[in-house]
Amino acid sequence: MNEISQLKEYLPFLIPVVILELALAITALVHVLKHPNYKFGNKILWIIVVLFVQIIGPVVYFLFGRGDE
Amino acid sequence: MRPYIAFVKKEWLEALRTYKVFIFAVVFALLGIMNPITAKVTPQLLETFMPEGMQITLPEPTALDSWAQFYKNVGQMGLIVLVILFSTLISHEITKGTLINILTKGLKRSTVIYGKLTLSILLWTASFVLCFGLTDIYTRYFWDVSILHHAYFAGGCLWLFGVFLISVTLLGGILFSNSYGSLLTTLLVFIVLMILGIFEPIAKFNPTWLATQNLNLVQGNLSPDRLIPAILSTIMVIVLLNVISVIAFNRKAI
Repeated sequence: MNEISQLKEYLPFLIPVVILELALAITALVHVLKHPNYKFGNKILWIIVVLFVQIIGPVVYFLFGRGDE
Repeated sequence: MRPYIAFVKKEWLEALRTYKVFIFAVVFALLGIMNPITAKVTPQLLETFMPEGMQITLPEPTALDSWAQFYKNVGQMGLIVLVILFSTLISHEITKGTLINILTKGLKRSTVIYGKLTLSILLWTASFVLCFGLTDIYTRYFWDVSILHHAYFAGGCLWLFGVFLISVTLLGGILFSNSYGSLLTTLLVFIVLMILGIFEPIAKFNPTWLATQNLNLVQGNLSPDRLIPAILSTIMVIVLLNVISVIAFNRKAI
């Protein structure tokens, strides 16, 4: 009971955080799949980084990993 | 005026297509939400991870803890993201030669600098307002905010420091033509300012005051007029840096 009420208390935080993290991860994933040329690393590496390293993974991909078109 | 507007539009498109706008929005929104969460959850986390039988009394978090997190996170992570994202601002164009075309068509070099500055400051302002607004809303939702002093003024100081960092990063990019030079210049300037901050008589003019004294302002330990020398000197330095940027860029071989 206690845990459920605690979870409810944090819901206004958790929902936006989850949405933002998912948006970041999915945008990066789509970009990784659609543009298969990277400054370094390969597709599998970037998919793992983008999906499993929260927040920092997608940001690092867009800043350093994204190849030039 | 028309070339300027066209160049700002071009910069905006570039920022959109290199996902800069997206990264800014998401990172600063997350930072904004994280601050109140961290303030609220930390005592409970400590309680959970305490060894059995150990008793500590933790004070209830207040609105001040939330803003302490804000100035810690945005003052470090936020500014680092800002500088990294803008380190390629001009160096990228110089190394790739993408400016040659438009410059030979008659675009003034100063317009390039003003355009880039305008868009970066707008982007920084929007992300800062987003982050500040989210922290503000959540803090009001959870805590009594009547204990805070000059919350908006303190935020404005950090924003001005961000503008200062953008100007330094841009100048670094022009001088060294690559993003590492740009990053290193900003780091070096920051370290020098930190060292200069030790000397008492000139400390109050130091721009770093705008990023380090925010919490004292919010707590009410420092009255806002103590920061006026730092604000004035920072504005003067920003103008000076931008003038130097224009002069350096005019002389640069592209």
